[in-house]
Amino acid sequence: MRKKKLLSLALVAVMASSMLAACGGNDSSSTTTTTDNTSTTTDSTSTTDTTDASDASSDDTAAASTGLDISEPVTLKWYLHGSNVTDDSAVMEKVNEYLGEKLNVTLQPIWGTWGDFDEGATLAINGGDDIDIYFTCSWSADEYNQYAKKGAWVRLDDPDNNLIQQYGSDVWAVLPDVVKEGAVIEGSDGVGVYAIPGFKDFGTQNTWDVNVTLLKKYGYTVDDIKNTDYYGFGDIMATVKAGEEAETGETFYPLNVEGAVLERMVTNSIIVNGDSGTTNVLSYYIDPTDVSKNIGSKIENKFGTEEYKKFVEKTREYYNAGYIDPALGNANSANDTLVAAQNAAKYLIGTQSYALGYEVQTSAARGIEVQYVPCTPPYVDKTATQGAMMAISTASKNPERAMAFLNLLNTDPYLMTLLEYGVEGVHYNLNDDGLVVFTDERDNYSPWRNGMGNITLLPPQEGEGVDFFVDTFIPYYTSAKGIPAFGYAFDSTNVETEMAALANVAGQYALALSTGTVDPETALPEFLSALETAGIQTVVDEANAQLDAYFAAN
Amino acid sequence: MARKSKAEKIVVPEKRSYNAVSIPTEIIINIVMILFCALCIVPFIFVIIISFTSEQSIAQIGYSFTPTSYSLDAYRYAFDMGAALWRSYFNSFFVTVVGTVLSVFVCALYSYALFRRDFKYRRFFTFFSFFTMLFGGGLVPTVVVCKQLLGLTDNYAAVIVPMLCNPFNFIVMRTFFQSSVPEELIEAAAIDGSGEYNTLFKIILPISKPGIATIALLNALAYWNEWYIPMLYIRENSYKPLQQLLMEIQRNVDYLAKNASAMGAEASKALTSTPTQSLRMALVVMVVIPIAFAYPFFQRYIIAGLTVGSVKG
Repeated sequence: MRKKKLLSLALVAVMASSMLAACGGNDSSSTTTTTDNTSTTTDSTSTTDTTDASDASSDDTAAASTGLDISEPVTLKWYLHGSNVTDDSAVMEKVNEYLGEKLNVTLQPIWGTWGDFDEGATLAINGGDDIDIYFTCSWSADEYNQYAKKGAWVRLDDPDNNLIQQYGSDVWAVLPDVVKEGAVIEGSDGVGVYAIPGFKDFGTQNTWDVNVTLLKKYGYTVDDIKNTDYYGFGDIMATVKAGEEAETGETFYPLNVEGAVLERMVTNSIIVNGDSGTTNVLSYYIDPTDVSKNIGSKIENKFGTEEYKKFVEKTREYYNAGYIDPALGNANSANDTLVAAQNAAKYLIGTQSYALGYEVQTSAARGIEVQYVPCTPPYVDKTATQGAMMAISTASKNPERAMAFLNLLNTDPYLMTLLEYGVEGVHYNLNDDGLVVFTDERDNYSPWRNGMGNITLLPPQEGEGVDFFVDTFIPYYTSAKGIPAFGYAFDSTNVETEMAALANVAGQYALALSTGTVDPETALPEFLSALETAGIQTVVDEANAQLDAYFAAN
Repeated sequence: MARKSKAEKIVVPEKRSYNAVSIPTEIIINIVMILFCALCIVPFIFVIIISFTSEQSIAQIGYSFTPTSYSLDAYRYAFDMGAALWRSYFNSFFVTVVGTVLSVFVCALYSYALFRRDFKYRRFFTFFSFFTMLFGGGLVPTVVVCKQLLGLTDNYAAVIVPMLCNPFNFIVMRTFFQSSVPEELIEAAAIDGSGEYNTLFKIILPISKPGIATIALLNALAYWNEWYIPMLYIRENSYKPLQQLLMEIQRNVDYLAKNASAMGAEASKALTSTPTQSLRMALVVMVVIPIAFAYPFFQRYIIAGLTVGSVKG
């Protein structure tokens, strides 16, 4: 009896401790091994690098950019993001035939999906997998800056072995300057370029998403929206709400917004690179008419300003008038509610971070005429230029060949089109205007269009127009100006405790205030004092000190 | 005579035994239990209803027990996925059946050895398996060993092997042997000339069916529901089990929603190409139904297993 009791006690103890061990123990052990792995991989490759470099430089004098030795066949593994690919055999057969001729390379793509990329890629990097090229960016878990610091990426413009100069000069000539500047960061081998950025929609532009069909029904035009601002939407919304509700007998919410985006649009603030990822607490302010003009903005606690107070009071007024769905103020239901209202076209004015050509797509999907009314011209910040990049892993045995492949990919329309759209006649057809029309086979091969590189090489799709890239896309994005503090990124290492506390506080209040679901009369002072307690001032001071240092250095 | 009439008096007229609770209490207990069962089954019924709900209805009024219109579109789409879906259905079945058989076999062998008092290294091997319950190597080293050393990538073994040994099951099974198999039986078998393998397979295992069934059910559930291990090791579509397919859809949607502010219009574009709400629910139904049939199959053994040791205390 007694023995059994002891045994059961022991079992319970074992179960409890194993659970604890499973939660707590794993992290520490995996991180220690992580560093081990990366350091060994960097060591091994850096030695090979230097030997290769001396080889290459001796060749180099003879043949500048063609100094690549392609006598040995090489397999390149390439980890991509956001793909929806179930059958790549037809495409890869053609790709490898072409690459075999050009570079003696066999390409082996790993089609990461939205859901599994973060976990798969970080495991592969930390485990030292023999993958040559990784997708990397500023917003995913294999974050460009972070892994460059850890030594996971090869520095491409290393003065001792400048891969870009040797094998990537063509792609470097094609990319806009602002994108190239955006790729320069502090990494394990000093300040430099650690990945080839993609030529994609790197400009940010927040716009009002306007349901024009509904607007016209009540005798308004888009100009009525353009000529006023957030504070002047009240009358239009009142008319439309009353009319729609009388007609359908259901509640109609004219304002369909994402709280955080709405706040930035109305107060003309932008995200500070390096701010808390979940709920931003810092703001940098720009001039809405000329985004690159230095208006001497400091970084501020975005909730403590007069503009924010004015904004939440107006929003509360709109909320009380029944213009905003209460579900938009609840973090769990906000996104679903937003998307459902968009798809059902049950809104008048919404918020949207714009991408070129988006009105065509949404108008078709929602069955209404959608127009996007911009608040500011498009601007470029560092976060956006790092939206989709290709980094060469330090675990790669053939960084030269990988660079040569990236160079070819970003400059050769045939290769890019083949990899992005598939095989002509199988995955897509060209119509009479030379526009791409996809076939049903495309469902089995749909990589993420922006996730590979220079999308301006592609033939435009049906609906985009024949000269979409030349006439629209390239001018639009190359005209986008950098913000005054373009290269600035807030390094929160010194204030990590405060940042965590602030994110919690902001998560509790920010969304509800920005959508008007709580009364700012009582909630805003509460929120501000909670931020004060959590140390907002320390963070703002630290960020401004870094900003001053940045401006002083540039 | 007197005794008999007394017995009749109590048993026959009331038809209730001595230790029965009063009728009102029984009614209350039954109502509570029925409500509890309803609570358990309602979410599943809800999922089934959603899977038959039309997209318009979800867009208009959200999830509801009484949707405005029904449709079979989700199932039609799922069946149109054709090869990929059936392939992963087959993978799930294959992995579950093979994995359960192998893991039960391994478990029986290991725990039988631990149960035998005359096994010299018994203490060491008990500790050896028990130790792994307390301390793990961490995710990255585990993946590196499995992938690079053992070659567990893109094959069925990658899903089966990592879950083959479960120390918790070893301990449960050993305890089961201890409480239900008398050692005299093994001695008697040895005296009658039975070898070790013969004793285990012909004598011990047949009387241990309840224990084995319990372990088999636990393992079958674990294999059927596993998506994390395949996610780590399987990239080839032809080896993906059903749960992984379902998780991928779910994780894609979650990821895009989470990163919507960073990706802007890109996220909304990508979201339109992910399957609809009702399709996801249809897949849940298709995942749950086969494994739900496993329960009745194992049930009688499990009840036996639960009561086996109870009298001895």
